[in-house]
Amino acid sequence: MPEQLKGSLDVGIASFRRNTAARSAAQTTPVGRRYTGLFFALPAIIFTTIFFILPLLMTAFMSLHQWPLLGQSRFIGLENYVNMTRDSQFWNSLWFTTRYTLLVTPAIFILAFVLALLVNLPLRLIGTFRTIYFLPAVIGLGTSSLLWVWLLNDRVGPINGLLNQLGLMERPVIWLADTNAVMPAIIVSIVWKTAGFTMILLLAGMQAIPTELYEVAKVDGANYWQRMRFIMLPLMRRTFALALVLSVIGSYLAFDQFYIMTAGGPQNQTISVVYWIYKNSFTNFNLGYGAALSIILLLILVILSAVQLYILRDDTTY
Amino acid sequence: MATTAQPRSNSAPVAIRWQPVLIYIVCIVLAILFLFPIVWTGINSVKPPAEASASPPTFLPSRIEFENYAKLNNYGKGVWTYVSNSLVTALITVVGSVVLSTLAGYGFARFNFPMKNVSFLLILATLMIPFQSILIPLFLILTQLRLQNTLFGLSLVYITFQLPFGVFIMRNSFASVPREIEEAALLDGCSALSMLYRVMFALVRPGIITVGIYAFLNSWNEFLAALIFMTKEANFTLPILLTSVRSGYYGAIDWGALQAGLMVSIIPCVLIFLLLQRYYVGGLTGGALKG
Amino acid sequence: MKRVKVLLVVLLAILAVSLVPVSAQDPVMLTMWSRDSNQAFLRELVDMWNASHTNQIDLTIIPAADFVTRVGVAAAGGEAPDLLPIDLIYLPAFARAGSLADITDFVDGLPFADQLIPAHMFLGTYEDRKYAVPFAAEGSVLIYNKGLFEQAGLDPEAPPTTWQEMYDAAVAIRGLGENTWGFYFSGNCPGCNAFTFLPYIWASGVDLLTPDGLTATVDSPEVRAALEFYKKMWDEGLIPPSAQADTGTDFFNAFTAGNIGMVGSGAFAISVLKNDHPDIDFGVTFLPGPEGGRSSFAGGDTISISANSSRVAESFEFIEWVLSDEIQLSMFASRGQLPLRIDLADNEFSREDTRLITNAEAMALGKTPYSFVYNQLYNDSTGPWLAMLQQAIFQGDVEGAVTTAQQRFTEILATQ
Repeated sequence: MPEQLKGSLDVGIASFRRNTAARSAAQTTPVGRRYTGLFFALPAIIFTTIFFILPLLMTAFMSLHQWPLLGQSRFIGLENYVNMTRDSQFWNSLWFTTRYTLLVTPAIFILAFVLALLVNLPLRLIGTFRTIYFLPAVIGLGTSSLLWVWLLNDRVGPINGLLNQLGLMERPVIWLADTNAVMPAIIVSIVWKTAGFTMILLLAGMQAIPTELYEVAKVDGANYWQRMRFIMLPLMRRTFALALVLSVIGSYLAFDQFYIMTAGGPQNQTISVVYWIYKNSFTNFNLGYGAALSIILLLILVILSAVQLYILRDDTTY
Repeated sequence: MATTAQPRSNSAPVAIRWQPVLIYIVCIVLAILFLFPIVWTGINSVKPPAEASASPPTFLPSRIEFENYAKLNNYGKGVWTYVSNSLVTALITVVGSVVLSTLAGYGFARFNFPMKNVSFLLILATLMIPFQSILIPLFLILTQLRLQNTLFGLSLVYITFQLPFGVFIMRNSFASVPREIEEAALLDGCSALSMLYRVMFALVRPGIITVGIYAFLNSWNEFLAALIFMTKEANFTLPILLTSVRSGYYGAIDWGALQAGLMVSIIPCVLIFLLLQRYYVGGLTGGALKG
Repeated sequence: MKRVKVLLVVLLAILAVSLVPVSAQDPVMLTMWSRDSNQAFLRELVDMWNASHTNQIDLTIIPAADFVTRVGVAAAGGEAPDLLPIDLIYLPAFARAGSLADITDFVDGLPFADQLIPAHMFLGTYEDRKYAVPFAAEGSVLIYNKGLFEQAGLDPEAPPTTWQEMYDAAVAIRGLGENTWGFYFSGNCPGCNAFTFLPYIWASGVDLLTPDGLTATVDSPEVRAALEFYKKMWDEGLIPPSAQADTGTDFFNAFTAGNIGMVGSGAFAISVLKNDHPDIDFGVTFLPGPEGGRSSFAGGDTISISANSSRVAESFEFIEWVLSDEIQLSMFASRGQLPLRIDLADNEFSREDTRLITNAEAMALGKTPYSFVYNQLYNDSTGPWLAMLQQAIFQGDVEGAVTTAQQRFTEILATQ
């Protein structure tokens, strides 16, 4: 890339950042009295306190107890947390969930990015395609999981039916019970359900970049890929950070797809952390231990999110 | 069908040197992949029951009938009870989420107040706890409030879990409204609340509709809390019906009824999205990324 | 904190109740929750009660997979229903936790108290107090397709009595055609296999737990042999491949298609097959041991009254009504369901169909595991029971499966 082009780009980007920074600095200047803002935010804060903070504190309290679903509870200090270190399924679940996150996140991002590039093109009917790609995102995760239970069924499901007709399959693949097929099957179902939402987030990020920057670059002779590499991607840092944090949190909290589609099978290979929490609380009736697992998962998520936001931080401050 | 996106002048970094034909082919193939699960379910749901669960599966129905939908009435109190319960819950959730998110979004975007950042982060932190973890405490709290068997109580919980997204979107929507408009209104003697109502409302409408749709979709589709907090069958919601269909009689799934149930669950979501998507996408685009 | 809350709720409830004057004539609305298996029958039963009694029952059906969660959460908040029919294997845990009302005096007052099915009463008794009575009885049996037996040159009136005979029959039936299978079981369903596979182990003279339910005895040659028996049928393709993924959805469906030779099942199957699939000529026999012998899982539901109910006497009226001669014969026996009283096992309806007598006999010789952690050991789709079956049968590692299961059973038993 020619130096000259790089120079003009830097100027452009810097001024873009300056502008947004200036705008947002103005926005945080207080207008009203000291408590006006609090008055507006108060209802939301009250709801969050009653239905989130309070239950969370109760969960933390429960985690220090031997607390059966039925019957009397007993204070045991940190024993639940100590037990966790010896709970091999917990570590398996943590590793499984991490592996799932590492596989599903790039799959969603790559497809969503391609989709966003496509629907950002100035072509006729492109809005219709955007609508179609987004459609699965309006379906609930539970509903879509049930839908895929049917699609993937080896006897009545159309996926095996199609593969069979096309002669691509010798004997039916039992997707959700085959140790090799289950992960790809789940990932396809989740990517189908989620890619549209990530596409919209990325699209919004693309469209927030001023056109002038591209035009300057174009005049300077940058091709499509150079413009993507040196303008679009750097300026979408914040968008990526947001979409990534949402996606990673969502994947770490994955429950419905495993609960509905695999019930943890085959051979306990798809027990996510939240599923393990659910199992301990409601199958093994050990609420105290489930609570301790929840607290640890919360800590892991807070740390992961902080790390991601730090890595993808933007010089622009708002 | 809405073609909402006008071809944009700023849809860079594009220079279409690619063949548009090629692009259309890629788009169409992707569209088929994205649509086929829903469309095929729809087709299957209007097959005669035996055909809907045929093995190997067939593609087109030999004749169209609605027997599978009729069978949904064999479960519990019948499909309409569940649909109307889901609608009531969703409506309360939508109204509550919109009002709370708009107020809080305005407060966070335009004012400084004590503990502002802490309270904002706490609202966002709601995203990070699995619902399963606080199920029992939530149930105990609802019981204390005597709301444990009411759709209203269920909605209150849903509203809380909509707040991270809602407040975030609304804060950004307000932040992107030029300050001058507001200052002019204040000079005219509006109080903060009436200004919010009279002036800002129109400007942040895409954000509001986005929050509303999102609240509707999540409330409509939520299963676990609905099952745990409702103690009477008359108060069950649609996702519980789906689970019943799935667990079936003597453990045997009625595939046709399941497909019909899925369509009953999917169609309202799709309709609402298609009707309001112009605002929905706008709300995300205008708001989400400036925060 | 929880106790204080529960106490508070109970006090409030008592206060609320005491403020409302209740005369003896006022109808009482009782609540009842049930899992969704057999819901049509239950609705009919409750409708019949409501039509003929002043006190009414409000029935709520809950998806089976979530039933215990639902009840547990409600019990924690003092909100459990008055009448609680539950799968009998959960009884020890529920009774020990104090979630159920002590109904010893009511039960002992019944004229037929000593005729109630012993397996159910055994599970429903904790520290010599009674907390439940039978509500539905299910003895596991082997159901076989007589038509296929005949086509395969087997005697439909002489069903298999050993594993070898079962295997031979399965081979013969598999030979009938590409889509005809010798045997079926739900390979991904823990509960179905506790019901239909445990009896093979019991019929070999061993068990997975010591009688007190506290020590694991999984690692034995008999258990290995039972697993080898299924593994052989799987390896040789006598079982449809879809069995591996079946979480119980086809537990019964598979047989109604008419192309399965034998399947382990229960009393419900007999009545449904008779009513809905009259075209299938089926026989019922015992689940055999390796060299003869027989066993059965005595399962089903019991009904209890929850500890937080303020209407124990009213609730028990319903229970007594269900167990009465009239209802047992007109609602249970007439539909091919097992009566809940031994003195009614031999009745006009069972005499018409010997298959029902076989089932009743199986029930009588059946066992039920008594364990506070039954759910974790056997019923959990991620538990060691199902893992053992899958590792042994589908992955072919019988040795590893048994060793792992012994270890995990021991771990879980140590937590109680």
